[in-house]
Amino acid sequence: MKAEGATTDGSLQPLLKVESLVKLYVKRNLAGVREEVRALDGVSFAIDPGATLAVVGESGSGKSTLASCVACLENPKSGSICFDGRNIVAISERHRREVRPQIQLIFQDPANSMNPRWSALEILIEPLVLQRKMNREEMKRRAYRLLDRVGLPSEIANRPPTELSGGQRQRLAIARALALEPKLLILDEALSAIDCSIQAQVANLLMDLQTSLKMTYLFITHDLSMAAHLADEIAVMSHGRIVEHAPTEKVLRQPESETTRQLLKAMPKMIRPALPEMQQ
Amino acid sequence: MIGFLLRRLRHALFLLIGVSVLAFLFAALAPGNYFDEMRLNPQIAPETIAALRAQYGIDRPLPMRYASWVNSLLHGNMGFSFAYNSAVAPILMVRARNTLLLTATSTLLAWAIALPLGIWSAEHFGKLPDRLLSWGTAALLVIPDLGIALGLLVLAVRSGWFPSGGMASVDFETLSVFRQLRDMAWHMVLPVSALVLCALPLLVRHVRAAVADVLNAPFLLAAIGHGIPRRTLLYRFALPAAANPLISLFGFSIGALLSSSLMVEVVMSWPGLGPLLLESILSRDLYVVVGAILFSTIFLVFGNLTSDLLLYLADPRIRTESSAR
Amino acid sequence: MTARRSLTKWFVALCVMHGIVVCAGFFAPYDPGGQDRRNPYMPPMRLHLQDARGQLHLRPFVYSLKLRDGSFDQYQEDQTTLHPLQFFLSGAGYRLLGFVPCRWHLFGVENSRIYLLGSDGYGRDQFSRLLFGGQVSLLAGLLGAGLTLVIGAGIGSVAGYFGGWRDDILMRLSELFLALPWLYLLFALRAFLPLAVNPLQAFFLIIAVIAAVGWARPARLVRGVVLSAKERDFVRAARGFGATGGYLWRRHILPETSSVLWTQAAILVPQYVLAEMTLSFLGLGVPEPVPSWGNLLSSLQQYSVLVSYWWMYLPALAMVPFFVGYLGIASSLQEREQPYKVDRMGLGSLT
Repeated sequence: MKAEGATTDGSLQPLLKVESLVKLYVKRNLAGVREEVRALDGVSFAIDPGATLAVVGESGSGKSTLASCVACLENPKSGSICFDGRNIVAISERHRREVRPQIQLIFQDPANSMNPRWSALEILIEPLVLQRKMNREEMKRRAYRLLDRVGLPSEIANRPPTELSGGQRQRLAIARALALEPKLLILDEALSAIDCSIQAQVANLLMDLQTSLKMTYLFITHDLSMAAHLADEIAVMSHGRIVEHAPTEKVLRQPESETTRQLLKAMPKMIRPALPEMQQ
Repeated sequence: MIGFLLRRLRHALFLLIGVSVLAFLFAALAPGNYFDEMRLNPQIAPETIAALRAQYGIDRPLPMRYASWVNSLLHGNMGFSFAYNSAVAPILMVRARNTLLLTATSTLLAWAIALPLGIWSAEHFGKLPDRLLSWGTAALLVIPDLGIALGLLVLAVRSGWFPSGGMASVDFETLSVFRQLRDMAWHMVLPVSALVLCALPLLVRHVRAAVADVLNAPFLLAAIGHGIPRRTLLYRFALPAAANPLISLFGFSIGALLSSSLMVEVVMSWPGLGPLLLESILSRDLYVVVGAILFSTIFLVFGNLTSDLLLYLADPRIRTESSAR
Repeated sequence: MTARRSLTKWFVALCVMHGIVVCAGFFAPYDPGGQDRRNPYMPPMRLHLQDARGQLHLRPFVYSLKLRDGSFDQYQEDQTTLHPLQFFLSGAGYRLLGFVPCRWHLFGVENSRIYLLGSDGYGRDQFSRLLFGGQVSLLAGLLGAGLTLVIGAGIGSVAGYFGGWRDDILMRLSELFLALPWLYLLFALRAFLPLAVNPLQAFFLIIAVIAAVGWARPARLVRGVVLSAKERDFVRAARGFGATGGYLWRRHILPETSSVLWTQAAILVPQYVLAEMTLSFLGLGVPEPVPSWGNLLSSLQQYSVLVSYWWMYLPALAMVPFFVGYLGIASSLQEREQPYKVDRMGLGSLT
């Protein structure tokens, strides 16, 4: 279910506007020499409310760093991230804590993103506990509603995530992310660790949720075919930079950068869009 | 490789300096010093004591004392022992040599026994001989080190087979070189046995575990599939692969052995750093204490340096990572 | 699940043994300080069921020992009087658990003294001293280990969580402490504190010293766990929900360290008991007349005792069943953590 055109609800302001984002890592390799790695080298893009932007790239291109920065888990060296008109890089930690609930991150590996020692219920209510806005009973009710919404049976509430299947775990992670009713959902390779057969189910769930809850998605992946299926626009990243950013159809049919062409070539022949130079 | 060595040496130096500062601080801040004991002695005039204190600079501020101590250290002078009334360095050298003799012999012997025993045990993993050995090492492991040392001493004394202490018999000077060596070896049997018995159970268990891990590794199963003979398998394939944890174990075992040797030396009256440290502590002989601690640290640091170097030579991964820039 | 069962087994065994030591007053026939100068260095008495005339008795008994004529330390059994073993008799007063006054003892003999493990130079019953000594040594080990783990966990958490200069300084400090052979460090620390203190002060002093020596290794282990836990996605997710550092540490990171801490505890307690024994043996620990397993052995430093009075060595073995128990717990804990790995004897937690 892709949105038609760029703006869906008439507002002119993009929900997320990233400008010239730079993020450096200083690593010390085993010989003791300092190395500076430019994970993000001047990244800029914008997402309109209700739309889905897919950021595609290979490992090491900086996609996960981008996710962390937008989710306020890491601080960029320079640049700005404007969420709903506010630059969240420049504000204090306390203010940022207020903004954080509106931007939620779903991680790649659901086995890792939830504490294996906790039960599903404890995991679900954790965000509510931290926000301290409702009492225990309300939290539990909200948790069961969330389980229902993602299609999980309520019996699993008392089980730890290790007893669930991969697909169920990711649904639980999605339910947890929805607890605070975010506006922006960042999916960091969220479908990559699930079996192919289940991927479609979870993807469809995500699409349904997007329409019913009016959320905006930033979808990070290395899989161009998945991005093609789910996103309105695709941005291709390479070495910390965005090398191409255009609506999905255009990226697939008229790729401009070499990176995009390489990614397209890597797609299985059957789903590869028919490009002039790809015709053998 | 030179780069690696230099870096490890620099690290070792830092450790030695740090330890010397710590030791000096503790010693200097200790309540009571040698002269308090002297003061209790009515035969020594207070002026004498004051003069001695000035001579040894006891009343100068700490950083100055440390600085002058380091300065003389670099000139080979390790301070003055109040109790022995002589320079510290010669006393320490003799004692350190004795400790080194004991510790080095015990380390070599312990590893010489533990390696083959551990490998053999790993080969027969889970079967009866291995289980018997496990029980044996467990039995040894649960007896406290003090118990082992004292037990050997009681046995020796009641049986009369071995001397009950010391490093040399009374008539040592009069013996020929050969007999001197034999006498020293005879005196060494007990302390060395104690140390080896203290160290052996853990060593054997770790060797067994490390080799057993390797023996189960896919690459070794592939080698067996290729029909490589058993001896080659063990010593040219398995052992080098197990070298990494074993060398780390070697570094660790030196520290443990040095500690145990402190206790064994005191119990069996072996004239090493141990009894010296104890005496000088009880008589508050500052420079001897610091010197003894420094020497023991030097041994440990160099032992670790050796094991680092061995690791560097044995594990190609460390070499490539180190040279990658 | 067998790992869990064996863990319970060991734990129960340890509790029983500790329980016996805690109720030392009940299990020991005499007060540990009770001297009997007429019977110095008496060897252990043997329990008999059959007397000299060949008659069997239901109740085991002992003969009192009298000095052999012409010797000053050779004893022989005086077979004229039998002293049957009595159970649950009333004897010297003591305080159960430190505050309940009590006079019941598990066993003893009337009109005489029974020396199950012999007596020392002052005629004090070694068996009673062994049990009471255990209180001191074991408590020192447990408290010391507890203190070390608190210090180590604290320092390791700070170093691992905050990183940066705090991590650098703390880890350098821990390296310094690890660079010294621990017994040397222990001696040095102990001896640089006042030597002549009363038993209670000495007790707490050596606990502090032992704990100060051993914090480095647990700290490094905890730091490792904290470093990796900090980067786990569920911790990052919690931060995304607005969690503060304190919450993260308390609810997510600290529980991850629990297994390391328990394993370290099982390994450290016996080591610390041994440290206390060594210190007390050399006169740097708990002083007379308070018994501890270490100072019970200090008479062995005299040649004469070493040669003639072999039973004075026995307290050295008192630690053995406890060692077995703690070691058993340590290996079941390790099995629980890594059930599929080859039985490793604590390589990960000792190095």
